[in-house]
Amino acid sequence: MTTALSRRAFLTVTTIAGVGLTIRIPLIGGPAQAAAAAAWDPNTALTITPDGIVTVHITKAEMGQGVGTALAQIVAEELEAEWKDVRVDYPTADPKFGLMLTGGSWSVNWTFDTLSRAGAAARLALLDAAAQYWKVNAADCAAERGVVRHLPTSRSIRYGDLVAKVPITKTFTEDELKKIPLKKPSEYKVVGQWLARLDIPEKTNGKAKFGIDSFLPNMAYAKVAYPPTREGGKHSAVDDSAAKKVKGYIATVNLPQLVAVVATSYEAAVKARDALKVTWDSGPNANVSTDSIFASFAKAKDDPGAAAWHEQGDVKGAMGGAARQHEATFMTDYVAHMQMEPMNCVAQVDKDGIYHLYTGSQFQTFAVGSLAAVLKVDASKIRLHQHYLGGGFGRRLEPDIMLETALIAREAKRPIKLIRSREEDLRRDFYRSATLQIVKAGLGADGKIVAWENTLVASHPGKRWGPDFVDKKGLDQFALNGADHVYDIPNQIVRAVPVETGISVGYVRAVAPNYTFFAVETFMDELAKLAGKDPLEYRLSMLGGAPRLARVLKLVAEKAGWGTPLPPNTGRGIACVSAQEKKTPTWTASVVQARVDPSNGNVHIEKITCAVDCGIVVNPDGARSQIEGSILFGVSNALKERGTIANGALVQSNFHDYQVLRMNEAPDIEVHVVPSTEFPTGLGEPGTTTVAPALSNAIFAATGARVRQVPLLPDRVLAAIRAKA
Amino acid sequence: MATLLINGKTHNVDVDSSTPLLWVIREHLRMTGTKFGCGVAQCGACTVHLDGQAVRSCQTTVAQAAGKKITTIEGLHPDGRHPLQVAWIAEQVPQCGYCQSGQIMSAAALLARKPNPSDQDIVDAMSGNICRCATYPRIKRAIKRAAQGV
Repeated sequence: MTTALSRRAFLTVTTIAGVGLTIRIPLIGGPAQAAAAAAWDPNTALTITPDGIVTVHITKAEMGQGVGTALAQIVAEELEAEWKDVRVDYPTADPKFGLMLTGGSWSVNWTFDTLSRAGAAARLALLDAAAQYWKVNAADCAAERGVVRHLPTSRSIRYGDLVAKVPITKTFTEDELKKIPLKKPSEYKVVGQWLARLDIPEKTNGKAKFGIDSFLPNMAYAKVAYPPTREGGKHSAVDDSAAKKVKGYIATVNLPQLVAVVATSYEAAVKARDALKVTWDSGPNANVSTDSIFASFAKAKDDPGAAAWHEQGDVKGAMGGAARQHEATFMTDYVAHMQMEPMNCVAQVDKDGIYHLYTGSQFQTFAVGSLAAVLKVDASKIRLHQHYLGGGFGRRLEPDIMLETALIAREAKRPIKLIRSREEDLRRDFYRSATLQIVKAGLGADGKIVAWENTLVASHPGKRWGPDFVDKKGLDQFALNGADHVYDIPNQIVRAVPVETGISVGYVRAVAPNYTFFAVETFMDELAKLAGKDPLEYRLSMLGGAPRLARVLKLVAEKAGWGTPLPPNTGRGIACVSAQEKKTPTWTASVVQARVDPSNGNVHIEKITCAVDCGIVVNPDGARSQIEGSILFGVSNALKERGTIANGALVQSNFHDYQVLRMNEAPDIEVHVVPSTEFPTGLGEPGTTTVAPALSNAIFAATGARVRQVPLLPDRVLAAIRAKA
Repeated sequence: MATLLINGKTHNVDVDSSTPLLWVIREHLRMTGTKFGCGVAQCGACTVHLDGQAVRSCQTTVAQAAGKKITTIEGLHPDGRHPLQVAWIAEQVPQCGYCQSGQIMSAAALLARKPNPSDQDIVDAMSGNICRCATYPRIKRAIKRAAQGV
């Protein structure tokens, strides 16, 4: 049989808003079917086998966000699949899947419509096949729970039997596909159900396979000798005479890009690498430090040529005419990913010159392109075999570990496993940039904001990734999102000042809105105070254009007992955000209740209440899990995580000096998700962005001291308390 | 050469006696449920039991483990149905899942010692295990659920 579902007919073109990237997402496609009784691939989203099993192909990385289950629910809904027959897999990267990128809380938002149509088209093709089989009118047939029924005669056939017995011939043009009527939310049976996540059982018994769990026959272990500085260091001489004496030593790899040792075991590779004598040229960044970076930021902020990233109205005029002005400076420190699975990869060059990479990637499309460019081979020679990610948080957007492992495997002429130690993982991270933000507002006599100016100094990761990742002004929107908040302020400008520091930056969970909303939402509290208004009421008065945000703000205030009395040194702070992006926001508001010890500046978070409107919720428990986790990630960022720089590298080396949140510090969290039939947005990150500002505002409510530097460390809180007194 | 008794089975491995147990379990014997996280006993991802006690296998040498009963996540229950594993699924605890073997092994040692732990007991026993996804609220609930036998 031939399905004749032409892949090309179903390609559509879409773009990431604001970025000059053109990305093709294949809506429907797939190879023509050779014969019945085999698996049926109606499109790239799913396969149905004669046993009735529906396998949904998840091209997003599973890094704990439950994306496999959620996306499978979307397909199953329109396919009318029986949920117990649904499985997922995570296929090897292939251009037929279009853009393979997981981040930005985009997965459900970007694929909801596509996957719904993929499921619906397959259902219609199955209905058509059944009608032909019975020689009846397809309009008299209905599909439900994996079975097609002929309603007038009550005959029925299972999807698996159809696939086995009947030629499935129905095809769809792109136009027809777009016109398939989809279900109304009131008709959902799978989407919105509290279904258990499919990946959880194997994550309780040790069977889940992460990249680090990969092995190949004849595999050896490599360790890289990394330069002392994060960027710009080079090796000038390598003496491996001592390394060669280590038991298990196999080879030294000395390339322009790296120096590494290959050995029979991980521990032998460590010993041999440690025995290497490498002479380093530290490069131009050997003296870069936290102080030098913030000094360069302070200098850059006055750059008269700084581009306006977001602008409306007449800021200069309105600021000049304002009854009063207020300005504040906000700073945030470097933040590391600290995903639990250190970066690792297994690589092999097979006899046909194909590179096989075994790892977990958030950005396969970029990785394949980068590997092809560095290895100087065609992209078709790269096979990226996807695994579970032991945490992503943006770290696994980067292909660095794959490049290293592939280069070593090629030189060593055998399969190589490369595992970074935690120290290497942290020192070779791509950090969330430190930032300096100067926010200035003009208030009218009535306390309303008439002018708003934000100068945002930070390093922009997109610059390193290439021209497709910055706009015409050379700005990376993902280093700026959130500064363009949704408050009704007639005159606004965001001046963007990108600065290169010699310290690599990347995308860390919740990305720019971590620091932009810290400044926006803390400053908003300051302005409310100046205007003599309640911070909640003040915000609500400017949210006429964002009624859904106003609603979650009111809801969270009510649930958190906003305005009710608290003991001394205890306060509530509020913050609301349109993260991750203004065009596709998940409306999120949090209230943090915290107690401050004024004698030492210690902050104890007693409770966090969060309200979220993300439109349609695909998996309600998964949604709550993401909100809980994202908020606690925010707590960790807000209270503890401070990366400092000395001699061109991160000072911290492991969990003892780069501390992240532990159970004894995790506050109670109460989550409220607003029921909605709006188009779904994402949940992996927005919660994170509410914590630092709401906590800073809570500290102010508790003590009257304003802390404008994240993390909100005890010495910073204490300094603010003393400055106030 | 070292002889190790892991999950009731004897393994002879040709490694230096100072080799961390973690690498022997994971890379030599390829029981990959036990995870590498930090290498310095700060994160708990590599937690296994030595004679029923939770230890960090990254800081336990083969010499220290020899002659003791070593239990990994694979050996916690023959069918993966230890009450904690059942509770972990019921409470939908894991996110990325990487730290969860270590979390479950720490919790199992706690429950073996204290079948009805208080909230403070749980926090005290579990604060050495980092979860970057921060599934802590659900871990707490799952331990209580397992202790209550529901």
